[in-house]
Amino acid sequence: MSLEPFNRLVKLAARAFYDDVTIKGENQPKTGRGDNRGMAVIVLDALSRRQWVREEDLAKALKLHTKQLRRALRFFEEEKLVTREHRKESAKGAKIFNAAIAATGDGPQGTKEGDEKMKMHMHSYCCLDYAQIYDVVRYRMHRMKKKIKDELDSRNTIQEYICPNCGRRYSAFDALQLVSMDDEYFHCENCNGELVAESDKLAAEEMGDGDDNARRRRREKLKDMLQKMEEQLKPLALQLARVKDLPAPEFGNLQAWEARAHAAAQASGDSNASDSSKNPQAQGYTGTPMPFLGETRVEVALSGVEAKEEIELDTKPTSMKVLPPWMIKQGMNLTKEQRGEVKPDVKVEQSSSSVDEKKSNMDKEDEKSLQDEYLKAYYAALVKRQEEQEASKKVQQEAELPINVSEAPFERRVGMKSKREDDNDDVEWEEEAPSTGNSGQSYRLADLNVEADASDHDDDEDGIDWEEG
Amino acid sequence: MFFHITLERNMQLHPRHFGPHLRDKLVAKLMKDVEGTCSGRHGFVVAITGVEDIGKGLIREGTGFVTFPVKYQAVVFRPFKGEILEAVVTMVNKMGFFAEAGPVQIFVSNHLIPDDMEFQSGDMPNYTTSDGSVKIQKDSEVRLKIIGTRVDATEIFCIGTIKDDFLGVINDPGASA
Repeated sequence: MSLEPFNRLVKLAARAFYDDVTIKGENQPKTGRGDNRGMAVIVLDALSRRQWVREEDLAKALKLHTKQLRRALRFFEEEKLVTREHRKESAKGAKIFNAAIAATGDGPQGTKEGDEKMKMHMHSYCCLDYAQIYDVVRYRMHRMKKKIKDELDSRNTIQEYICPNCGRRYSAFDALQLVSMDDEYFHCENCNGELVAESDKLAAEEMGDGDDNARRRRREKLKDMLQKMEEQLKPLALQLARVKDLPAPEFGNLQAWEARAHAAAQASGDSNASDSSKNPQAQGYTGTPMPFLGETRVEVALSGVEAKEEIELDTKPTSMKVLPPWMIKQGMNLTKEQRGEVKPDVKVEQSSSSVDEKKSNMDKEDEKSLQDEYLKAYYAALVKRQEEQEASKKVQQEAELPINVSEAPFERRVGMKSKREDDNDDVEWEEEAPSTGNSGQSYRLADLNVEADASDHDDDEDGIDWEEG
Repeated sequence: MFFHITLERNMQLHPRHFGPHLRDKLVAKLMKDVEGTCSGRHGFVVAITGVEDIGKGLIREGTGFVTFPVKYQAVVFRPFKGEILEAVVTMVNKMGFFAEAGPVQIFVSNHLIPDDMEFQSGDMPNYTTSDGSVKIQKDSEVRLKIIGTRVDATEIFCIGTIKDDFLGVINDPGASA
């Protein structure tokens, strides 16, 4: 299954289109604290590393509030990037899913020993819909280009008119009602004001009413915009072209995916005791408690899916069986996404310069060492910064304690500093302050906009690279 | 675009027409009622070419009117997006010009007129190229392309463009005069 190019596509698209998307409820005031631009990218990246994932698990892994994540996912669902599934399930159902997770080998493991005694709860799962993402991205780029090109040619655009007095808008379709006998302008139906033609939406600034000069300027502006767009979206376009003939990874719906994951686990034979003990429960979940149905169920899954997926099914057990390639693949995945997250610019440049895959493969070695270096440097910087913070705090405390100033100003200052933190109140933060790593990390995590990349590393690698660096 | 289609209508006939020429009266009334009207679905009914079938009349209680279901064939005109039409200019102003192609009104806004044509006001407002060789004014004939239609239940209005190859003035009464 060729996930890699598709994941790259997702990442490029995330950075191209969802980089500055703010995800928030309708009635949330826009404050500095609520500024979570960049979260969209994080969530998409995290999803590209997983298959089906329970939303609570994802939230936990990303250290996001469930609500926040759900809002983001709803947004992506509307954007048709993500499929979601909701189902009522007991602890049993959760177990099936966990078994499936364990079988695929990715995702958080052993997170859920605690909630055995859960009653029937609504659980939501989400997964990237790669085939649809491909179409959505292609369509979006097509629309962007078409809009600019149409405006450039002034072709097929219905002129719009606007009343400067009352702000009412008309389109050229209303022309017949708007024309007046007295003069040669259109008049507003409400206030009889003179309508002005609304100049094109993209290049609307500083334009007069469409005299020759303005028209030329507008053309230049549009051309410039088109050129810039093509230049900046080139990596994405290249990736689209690369992905074009590849079969999109299909995970099917949640049920099918779980069944498949089980099958893979059984076939590979690496299913340990816990897995095999869970399997009967899986059948119990589907309502057929007969033990022999285990095999049949796999077959049903086989025939139920489209022909495309048979390829996947062929490849999947092998990839599960042989551990080393799987490990290598995962490793590559990691480096790539690190590259993507750490330096999006670098990636963009690199991909635009190296059209063919081979070169990028060759580069990968260098890249990895580069990356390690970067990580080391980054980690060093992190430690340094934390030390600085610590030091400055000590200075503060030292400065303030001897003078015996009342607690209030100190509190306030701390509060100011940690205002981006999600729900930590000042006191709690103070408590955490001595343990450097913890407070620094949470501070960074909450600051999604700037430190997005950093936070993401931290949670998906489970500290492996920390030891490395 | 023109179509020759079969339509149906329930005609109400006044009792005074009941007599030897009932059928003729019915057809005459049908023509009077239907020709020249516009429906959003079929477009403008240009002409009725024949009556296929007249069903059994039903006398309305109280009024004495009789309702006949009539099937008839008609030529209809329905403009479509992307269609090329020839039209006569009816009005020119600063915002563009209006033209008519048979029953259809078409508006061409000034940004869909080629960039080299400028508006000239006066008692005969017109759009003229800088060298004066081409002029669009009232009663000019233009070939235009429809880029948008607004179809209401009883009305069709179109937006056209002459900013494309082979579009524009096809005969200029101002030049010959």
